[in-house]
Amino acid sequence: MYSKKIQEKLKELGIEIGDRVRVKSRGEVCEGILMPKQELGDPNAIVVKLSNGYAIGLNFEGAGLEKLEGHRKIGFKSSDEKLKHVAGKPTVSIISTGGTVASRVDYTTGGVNASYSASDLVKAVPELGEFNIDSKFLFGMMSEDMRAEHWKEMAKAVFKELKTDARGVVVTHGTDTMHFSTAALSFMLKDLNKPVVFTGSQRSSDRGSSDSFMNMLCAVNFASKSDVAEVSLLMHGSSSDDFCYAHRGTKVRKLHTSKRDAFKSVNDEPLAKIFPNGKIEMINSNYRKRSEREVSLDDKLEEKVALIKTYPGMDPEIFDFYLGKKFKGIVIEGTGLGHVPTAIEKYSLIPRIKEATKAGIPVCITSQCIFGRVHEFVYANLRKEYEAGAVFCGDMLSEVAYVKLMHVLAHSKDLEEAKKLMLTNIAGELNERTPVFE
Amino acid sequence: MKCGIEIHQRLATEKKLFCGCSAQPGEEKPIATIERRQKAVAGELGEVDLAALHEYSRNRIYRYQVFPGTTCLVELDEEPPHDMNKDALETVVEVCLLLNAKVVDEVQVMRKTVIDGSNTCGFQRTAIVGSDGSMETSKGDVGIQIICLEEESCGIVEEKNGEITYRLDRLGIPLVEIATAADIKDAKHAREVAEKLGMILRATGRVQRGIGTIRQDINISIPGGARVEVKGAQELGLIETIVEKEVKRQEGLLRVKEELEKRFGKNTLEKPAMVDVTEMFKNSASKLLRKECVLAMKLEKFAGLLGEELYENRRLGTELSDYAVAKAGVGGIIHSDEKFEKYSIGKGDADELKKRVGAGEKDAFVIVAGERKACERALESVYERALHTFKGPQNEVRRVLPDGGTAFMRPMPGSARLYPETDVPPVLISKEWIGEVRRKLPEKPEERKEKLLKVLNEELAERIMLSKNYPLFEKIVNGLKVEPKLVAATLEETVVSLRREGAPVENLNENKFMELFIEYKCGKFVKAAIPEILRYVSRNSGESVSHAVEKLKLEKMSEKELKKVADEKKKAGKKGKELIEEIMREHRLRVDISELSKIVGA
Repeated sequence: MYSKKIQEKLKELGIEIGDRVRVKSRGEVCEGILMPKQELGDPNAIVVKLSNGYAIGLNFEGAGLEKLEGHRKIGFKSSDEKLKHVAGKPTVSIISTGGTVASRVDYTTGGVNASYSASDLVKAVPELGEFNIDSKFLFGMMSEDMRAEHWKEMAKAVFKELKTDARGVVVTHGTDTMHFSTAALSFMLKDLNKPVVFTGSQRSSDRGSSDSFMNMLCAVNFASKSDVAEVSLLMHGSSSDDFCYAHRGTKVRKLHTSKRDAFKSVNDEPLAKIFPNGKIEMINSNYRKRSEREVSLDDKLEEKVALIKTYPGMDPEIFDFYLGKKFKGIVIEGTGLGHVPTAIEKYSLIPRIKEATKAGIPVCITSQCIFGRVHEFVYANLRKEYEAGAVFCGDMLSEVAYVKLMHVLAHSKDLEEAKKLMLTNIAGELNERTPVFE
Repeated sequence: MKCGIEIHQRLATEKKLFCGCSAQPGEEKPIATIERRQKAVAGELGEVDLAALHEYSRNRIYRYQVFPGTTCLVELDEEPPHDMNKDALETVVEVCLLLNAKVVDEVQVMRKTVIDGSNTCGFQRTAIVGSDGSMETSKGDVGIQIICLEEESCGIVEEKNGEITYRLDRLGIPLVEIATAADIKDAKHAREVAEKLGMILRATGRVQRGIGTIRQDINISIPGGARVEVKGAQELGLIETIVEKEVKRQEGLLRVKEELEKRFGKNTLEKPAMVDVTEMFKNSASKLLRKECVLAMKLEKFAGLLGEELYENRRLGTELSDYAVAKAGVGGIIHSDEKFEKYSIGKGDADELKKRVGAGEKDAFVIVAGERKACERALESVYERALHTFKGPQNEVRRVLPDGGTAFMRPMPGSARLYPETDVPPVLISKEWIGEVRRKLPEKPEERKEKLLKVLNEELAERIMLSKNYPLFEKIVNGLKVEPKLVAATLEETVVSLRREGAPVENLNENKFMELFIEYKCGKFVKAAIPEILRYVSRNSGESVSHAVEKLKLEKMSEKELKKVADEKKKAGKKGKELIEEIMREHRLRVDISELSKIVGA
């Protein structure tokens, strides 16, 4: 945003962003389009886009401003052209929830805006022309802002599309918390009968090198052609634009801040390898097949669940906060095999776990190691935790355990039932055996 | 004629512009290769850049070689850029001041769309630092339009079957780009301006040297012609030829345009049909034509025009062929103004071709061979180019050929290709900082030369003033008060001749030279011993200069020793000049002649 002083001056002169202007600053005369100010940068510098395409910043102090003829609309123009269905082409529904994949740079904030329609998508990825695309805009939000209520809306929207004649549903989503959403929908969509494929991108689609084009193409192909009736997460399989992986929605995690192949399957093999030419190679044979079953929506969630990470020096009083706030369930991301501070009485979590359990609040144990499973008996300290009432969640990811506990608590009468459900495989989140991967 | 040039010069910073990788690519071997594709996307004003669409229409695969010391996730487009390298920015501010340009208050980094794959992001990061400068030349002042700081692109390794392999070590090295106004008067002047800009850049002492570290682009147009940007002239010697040939090419195209007006009047060329003639050449003697597909196409009323010579060895037919090569990736086309024997096409075949495409006496035709899709695209491009000839020269980007001629590369990019780089915050340039840079500013080349001419001959003055050793020269001359001529000759001549004889002179760093001249100043050895000492030290870089002097027994003769030698010679009947000459012959490397003259004279 420009400083108040500049904004007032612009208002006084009747100049709007996008107008052609002449700026005289320190003996220099500059003509060009007045651009919006990025969040970063000096709010007292006027940004002008010159006819050669470059933008420069000029100090407003002592500068003369003049409005010229001409105005340019800044930003990407979304096309509202309606795409007609062609008989014989498979139909895929695309639900857009925001994030980098379906967005353009917003020059006001420097952030990204969700502004893609179906025809924009087909324009950007012409290969999608072999499908009938039904595009729905649900939200335009970055995934770090998502909450349980958004998962519910997402589940409802997907459920609606599953009832149409679409071969499958693609959900575009910000990458940061995409694996939370895939886990949530894995639990909420019962007896799933078609593929539901989440995809996103690590590079925004305003750049030629964006991974969004290939991710979108592979996702639509997977949704339409595969027989995997699961909620999956599909992203680049390597740093190259050579193939994507579809990961099971409850067995995947973002493991890199910025790389294209940030998502990896954890304690499970990816479901399939998908190539941009539409070829699908199945990797994992353990999945639910496409069917004529009747899908149902079960979107009840108990939102008062916390996810707590343990670390050297942590203060056990953090528990008191959640207990005081009447939280109904706690997932602990312990160290190693599921450890929490135990031996030094003052800092031990064991009394808190006991207290919570006694109050009927399940305390579930996962590991911050990410890979591997937790174990309740290997060390004495683990046994103490177990005896205090903690539920060891096998090879479940902490994020998945968090979402699952929300789901479970909305469906169980008491602690015992909740504990039992946490340890029952519902959507592929628990594997009995850990296979040997390369 | 209107002409301006753009100079791109790599800066000699330690690190790259937007990451911590070394900006000095070495001899590393690639450790991995990644593969990418790129798309044409719309810029901030919602337009797709023409040049970007052109590349995308080629549907290419790009491979990138990864190097351990000079590539990180930033070059792979797998990590956002880091903060801008302030050393690089300071150097460009310095260049702005040397060219009397105005420095912007806030540097806005932009993304310039490039999807020829030469940047993994699909854009090059670039920013205007200064504008409205000028420089003096023998033919009046030449304006400097803009001075930018930008990233170097990837280096190309090979291009084959539509796949380009690039190396990532070069990507992201800071570059300064200087664009002059169209004030250049003629071909010779273009060269002078390029040379002079090169000198100013080197005067900063902060730019890289060697092949590929500086490139010139030349913008040329003639009245009635078009703006053509010729990319990538690396040799100054070629600039004159490039300008001359481009002027001729544009004049030639204007002649063709006039002729077409006569032939067509107000009409234009109808889109001709593509005729499949593959089976005609199934058993052809020409390997060029025994391909999956051969297509032919008539160009109505073009007879004789395709052979029109634009400049030496370039005909209109080649211009059409360039389009087919650049846009469809075919090897080229054959046209009816060529000698068909070259391609083993007999008279009978030629007549048959004419018949099949329906060409009469006034018509020309072209044929192309290769994969079917490529052939179709090639002929479409030929038709597109043929239509352009009705309008005369086109605005376009051309690449330099080894003979100074040029070939079509891509359409001229528009301003749609620039949009803000939101990952890098704008950088404020304070007045205080500019003041600081101004205080440290090196002299301008002409001032430096004038100063040097007082102590050096012209040849040596010119060499040292443009040398990367100039700062060291100043340090030794001013700090140690050594004769400038000796320092310049040692740095510029002795080192070069040692390199020629194979001595590893890269081991002679600044410290070694400082040591050398300190010892010299202390009277340890005489001038004549310097080459011997440097040779030894370069080969034994762990040893000190004083140790080398001892080992080589090159200590300067003391006065006492010299007297003794002189006395001996005198006893043997030698005197005067003869005596001096004989001693010098025998002890040249250890005797200072002026000292000896004094002793003998006494």
